[in-house]
Amino acid sequence: MRNLLRDAAAGVLAAGLGIAVAELFAAVTRPDAAPLIAVGGAIIDATPTPVKEFAVRELGTNDKPVLLASVGLVLALFAATLGVVGRRRRNLVVVGAVVLGAAGATAALTRPTASWFSPVPSLLAAAIAGATLWWLLRTAVGPANDRTDVAAANDRTAIVPTSNRRAFLRGALLVAGAAVLFESGAQLLIRTVGKVRTTLALPAPAEPAKPLPAGIAPDFTTPSATFYRVDTALTIPRVDPDTWELRIHGMVGTELKLSLDDLLKRPLIERDITLNCVSNEVGGPYIGTARWLGVPLAPLLREAGLRPEADQIVARSVEGMTIGTPVATALDGRDTMLAVAMNGEPLRPEHGFPVRMLTPGLYGYAGACKWVTELELTTFAAFDAYWVKRGWARPGTVKTASRIDKPRPFARPAAGPVTVAGVAWAQRRGIDKVEISVDGGPWKAAEMLPVPSIDTWVQWRLTWNATPGPHSLSVRATDGTGQVQTADRATPFPSGATGQHTITVTVG
Amino acid sequence: MRTSRLTTLAAVSLFSLSMAACGSSDSSTSSDQPAAAPTMTSAAPMMSSAAPAMENFGAGCAAVPTDASNKGSFQAMAQVPVATAASGNPLLSTLVSAVKQAGLVDSLNSADGITVFAPTNDAFKKIPAADLKKVLADKKTLTDILTYHVVPGKLTPADLSGTHKTLEGKDLTVAGSGEMFKVDGTSSVICGNVQTANATVYIVDTVLMPKS
Repeated sequence: MRNLLRDAAAGVLAAGLGIAVAELFAAVTRPDAAPLIAVGGAIIDATPTPVKEFAVRELGTNDKPVLLASVGLVLALFAATLGVVGRRRRNLVVVGAVVLGAAGATAALTRPTASWFSPVPSLLAAAIAGATLWWLLRTAVGPANDRTDVAAANDRTAIVPTSNRRAFLRGALLVAGAAVLFESGAQLLIRTVGKVRTTLALPAPAEPAKPLPAGIAPDFTTPSATFYRVDTALTIPRVDPDTWELRIHGMVGTELKLSLDDLLKRPLIERDITLNCVSNEVGGPYIGTARWLGVPLAPLLREAGLRPEADQIVARSVEGMTIGTPVATALDGRDTMLAVAMNGEPLRPEHGFPVRMLTPGLYGYAGACKWVTELELTTFAAFDAYWVKRGWARPGTVKTASRIDKPRPFARPAAGPVTVAGVAWAQRRGIDKVEISVDGGPWKAAEMLPVPSIDTWVQWRLTWNATPGPHSLSVRATDGTGQVQTADRATPFPSGATGQHTITVTVG
Repeated sequence: MRTSRLTTLAAVSLFSLSMAACGSSDSSTSSDQPAAAPTMTSAAPMMSSAAPAMENFGAGCAAVPTDASNKGSFQAMAQVPVATAASGNPLLSTLVSAVKQAGLVDSLNSADGITVFAPTNDAFKKIPAADLKKVLADKKTLTDILTYHVVPGKLTPADLSGTHKTLEGKDLTVAGSGEMFKVDGTSSVICGNVQTANATVYIVDTVLMPKS
């Protein structure tokens, strides 16, 4: 039993060291080629579409850490088994290492951004894990060829010589220490990209945003730290701004290649824009407003000489995500941009550092590619982007919607005047009217606070003279085209939820 | 002695693996801020959000679909807010229609973190058909009954035992430990600690009634 545990631990430690070294190596070279990340990514891609319709619909929960932890656990179990069987059949250590290396390498090669180099970290991990396990087992029980089956069988009952036990513990501690060291190095390195980000100098905008109108409530702008995040990135891509490049190609006269410096030299615009996710339920949290700084897309496309038959911009991220945006939404005068900053600071890594796309009036899945590195001009007939392949609608126009933020559902306000407040949005169309209904009664117009443009949400409030007892509060908005928000319920899939947010409170 | 040391070593190396997997330097802070107007929790995946125990317990869990592509599976339910999660689960269809009838779908979905005791269809069948029909037609009574099944905050199995103030206003009492819990002495938890995006759900075999 003790030997079994010892051998299993040897396997796990050896695998841990291999992975840690590969992590550091990958952090220096290609972060997405780190073995666990590559395997996890391959699992996500191999997951059948129906699974994603649910798992991915409400992304941004803890599915990714759980997946990665599971991959790590399976690896640990495999390594432990290898340690146990490898004690007597040392050749199996080699076989096991080859299997692991091949699995990691294959996974890395299936990644959308794979290159010839992608399998290297996995192969390195396997080689180190195999060699370490061999050495640990040798330390513990001596060279395999010194032992007969009888001796090995005796080993299970006999007390292991103290020297071997000590030697093994020393070796094990050494391996564990080295693993921690390499892993810390990898984490430190990954973090330095964050440091580069904060030192990135932002040029002043050629067209600054107008100051927010007086009378706006303080939480009009969503802090970057609490801004929603919904994406499929297993680990947040860490992009080196010095080597980052944007390629504009496809149906264009001249292909354009721009470095971050090239991009920042162009005239920048600054705008307050509300961005929301198609997977938001009625009353849900996946919406926010930020002050964005970026390069308008239209002049870039014209400079590249986009051909009239191109009707789709396919934006590709560094990790292979594709987002399809209508060309028309870049040329119709709206502030479609390549954003470099959010709320006065360079984009946070989770929000697309160094550059993301932003298209006012479209849900994120249709117009807001993060970590963008490529814009391909093509047609909708020729190419379906990632989410469209999975059944989500195009073009992804934002639906008119509204939400009650105050009071909270199930609140127990005192009778008398109660402030009902919230937001309403219909980017590109604007909001003309917000109305509240108490207990299904007549709609009463709420006061709307001023807005900087039709591309942001509007904050609204109403003083409700609350009477004791349970009450329901519903909200509906009318957009700038006169369209009243529908009460009909639709799920977020495939084109965004509809329905009037209705909450229950008990006035006491 | 040696065994425990080796176990520690194994644990250390496993820990370093999981750090490697989930490590992200500046995951944003998630906070449920008091709502002045728009507030939202950051949806960024991070170590701390991986913490809530995923383990479900109870014989009734066997009836929950295991195929992750099924809307009623644990995996699918964990991704969506509680009323949406329940609507994907065929075991809870009576509860879901009652919630719709009472107009509580959005309230449950946009609540900030709650515990829901969710009676199964069989639990509703224990109520005589005529009585059930009457309750469903009376919004006030229905709302009282349904909100009596909801407790503010996410209760872990460790916190479950005890007296809790419900959203209806009256207290309910949970007795038991481990994987055996009874609510108000009559309703057994048959599948516990089911996670949804904003609520922890305990599926129960009998509808709870607020004491009048």
